[in-house]
Amino acid sequence: MLYFHDYSCISPQPTYGNPVLGQLLASQESKLFAREPAYSGIPPGILRRMGKAVRIAIGAALPLMKDPAMGIIIGTANGGMEDCIKFLDQIIEYQEGMLTPGNFVQSTTNAIAAQLGLISKNKGYNITHVHRGLSFENALLDAIMITRENPAGHYLVGGVDEISSYDYNIECLAGWYRSHGIGNEHLYQWEGTGSLAGEGASMFRVSASPAGARAQLTGIRIFQGEDLTRVEDELSGLLAEPGMNGQHIDLLLSGENGDARMLPFYNTVEKFMQRDTAIARFKHMTGEFATASAVAAWLACHLLEKQELPDHMLKKGLVGKEIENILVYNTFKGRQHSFMQFSKPLPAI
Amino acid sequence: METAELKQVLKKQIVEFLNLLSVKPEDIRDDEPLFGEGLGLDSIDSIELIVLLNREYGINIQDPKEGRKVLVDINTMVDYIEKHRTK
Amino acid sequence: MSRIVVTGMGIISAIGDSAAKNRQSLSAGICGIGHIELFASRYAGILPCGEIKIPTDNLKQVLQSKEPGVTRTSLLALHAVREAISDAGLTPEEVSSAGTCLIGATTVGGMCLTDELYHDAHKDKEGSEYLSSYDCASVNMYLQEHLRLKGLINTINTACSSSANAIMYGARLLRNGFARRAIVGGVDSLAKFTINGFNALHILSGQICRPFDRDRSGLNLGEGAAFLVLEREQDVPHKKQLASLSGYCNANDAYHPSSLSDQGDGPYLAMKGALESAGLSSADIDFINAHGTATENNDLVESTSMLRLFGQVPSFCSSKSNTGHTLGAAGAIGAAYSILSLAHGEIYPSLGFEQPITQTGLKPATDYRQMHLEHVMSNSFGFGGNCTSLIFSKS
Repeated sequence: MLYFHDYSCISPQPTYGNPVLGQLLASQESKLFAREPAYSGIPPGILRRMGKAVRIAIGAALPLMKDPAMGIIIGTANGGMEDCIKFLDQIIEYQEGMLTPGNFVQSTTNAIAAQLGLISKNKGYNITHVHRGLSFENALLDAIMITRENPAGHYLVGGVDEISSYDYNIECLAGWYRSHGIGNEHLYQWEGTGSLAGEGASMFRVSASPAGARAQLTGIRIFQGEDLTRVEDELSGLLAEPGMNGQHIDLLLSGENGDARMLPFYNTVEKFMQRDTAIARFKHMTGEFATASAVAAWLACHLLEKQELPDHMLKKGLVGKEIENILVYNTFKGRQHSFMQFSKPLPAI
Repeated sequence: METAELKQVLKKQIVEFLNLLSVKPEDIRDDEPLFGEGLGLDSIDSIELIVLLNREYGINIQDPKEGRKVLVDINTMVDYIEKHRTK
Repeated sequence: MSRIVVTGMGIISAIGDSAAKNRQSLSAGICGIGHIELFASRYAGILPCGEIKIPTDNLKQVLQSKEPGVTRTSLLALHAVREAISDAGLTPEEVSSAGTCLIGATTVGGMCLTDELYHDAHKDKEGSEYLSSYDCASVNMYLQEHLRLKGLINTINTACSSSANAIMYGARLLRNGFARRAIVGGVDSLAKFTINGFNALHILSGQICRPFDRDRSGLNLGEGAAFLVLEREQDVPHKKQLASLSGYCNANDAYHPSSLSDQGDGPYLAMKGALESAGLSSADIDFINAHGTATENNDLVESTSMLRLFGQVPSFCSSKSNTGHTLGAAGAIGAAYSILSLAHGEIYPSLGFEQPITQTGLKPATDYRQMHLEHVMSNSFGFGGNCTSLIFSKS
């Protein structure tokens, strides 16, 4: 369906460069901030204008841009929100007077894909999907289509969002984040509603060709709705697909986030799993945000390749033999849902 | 304010306002071109600098041609500020 | 490859609240750009805009929208989507079937509520009814709920080319078998946020805009929505077809965050790619609905790249002179106008043009004219150098 040749991730855990996942890094004041590396590859003249979302996205993508790509596909719910709020503040503070345009230009969600195109001189397909909790999944679907349409080409696809004061305050008001409480190591022991805020950028180099691939996407389902039977229907539909049929799911990577309102969805999916399918979670590592599923995709690729599942991720079961298939299920606010199945690539013949 | 002091203040303001990460205020020469090969600023920066002149010195430049004449280097900017500042 | 046909469309803009009214206004050369009346801004009365003179509360009544937290942007989208659905003769069952996807573009989303957003973002009060209505996705989330959609839903934001990309994306979903029919288009409403943003870049004109004129002085913002229903011809052999979507391409100028390169690589590659995907040559294009925003940069670069690709540039116009630049809706409105041209065999005048740009000498069509059209190109170029060309052909 789609082959992953390279991947890179900047997240609140040491995922960048040489990933070390065994030791969980703690949240600060109910937030999981991305660990930013030194951005040696970004020209200072361009770096100075970038907000965090743009910076971490480009930082994560640059190692994958050494070889030419035919296009850039980004999923982000909010893009450079912090710039957006800076510009908004100017409008109010200076009463629509003389304003600096830099924040405005950086606040458009497509600034990320555009800057990536600019830095890598990429004149190909350049698109930004912004469908909130399904931004990354829609970007993946786009990648599936475009690699079918251009089987010879490699593409960059990724998901990114930042913690912005804007988004954080609004999500707190709406009850999606807890602004105080327990740290991320106890995320799943919380009772009640709300999760931890998080951020991250995960980038993938993909193509339709299995040659040299490190992981593959074997199935994807994207849907919306609030009823549990839809989740069941989509999952059984996915498992019955020809590419999936008969494959054993070794690991379910669940997007459980400590918010009691989301548990029924995750429980429904867990119940569907075979007895020997291990269940792992990741939101204590990343926090909750609209494109957290992109980090899950990165984790799935990483786990398939390295076969190291840190204890703090495991919820249930044991991984006895090699992990060959990982199913990721994630819901954003119980309204937007996705299943993504990642598998070891078939050995090249 | 003495011209020399104004130059130092302005350099600091430019570095901060444009977030010039790798530039120290004292490294900017008074006659170094702001745009093109010198500091390497671009058209968005030129608008940002006009806003800086407005907020810090109460100078209102409407005509972009006027802006191009003022925003050549530190010398031309300071010269203009000294003649036109309202605060 | 399956032929993609347009089976319905809906438009609301400053020159009319239906496709038929937009056609009348275009034919009569009506300009909908004037003073802002419906929201408070320092620039009301100073910077002309293409405002739809229907207050938000009236839109709610007309559309029977009773949900809390609905923004003007969502309402404009619903208005156009409803017209498109009815024009395509889709039954409620078809609309809410799993095979119907919705791909909508917007750049402003719920940020039209600039002041409410400011207060919520600073946690000034308890939180308004709009907490989940500010992002771009809120528009399509609302449409999904209101129209009980069950198929794939996606939101695209690539600045001013957004809705051209939404149309292209919908067609690709159909061709790849991910949907049976696609409701595609875009919307934006006027906002303090965008007025101040474009004003800070010094590209808004204090006069009514003059696309492709030597003395143009910038763009006017507008608001509106346009949606199309796309289906595969093989699925609807007996249905009315307004046009077919025969070609599309997106390319990236990769030059500057907010302006296009002198030689116009992005626009050139987008137009050229669209021709290739349609299997046409440049001589086959009869008319171009240009991006033509009337900024110094866009009109010069677009002219240069049209000359570069076509040599002899076909008739063209910019409907920005009727509606203003509607940002996330612009690509879809341009597409809808191209389809009207094809369906009725007529071209609409570009307004405000007097003298050609010295370097290029290109003159847009300035009179209404009936003419036989086979293939019409629609251009949309956005910030970040995002360029998309669509080609519609006679069915």
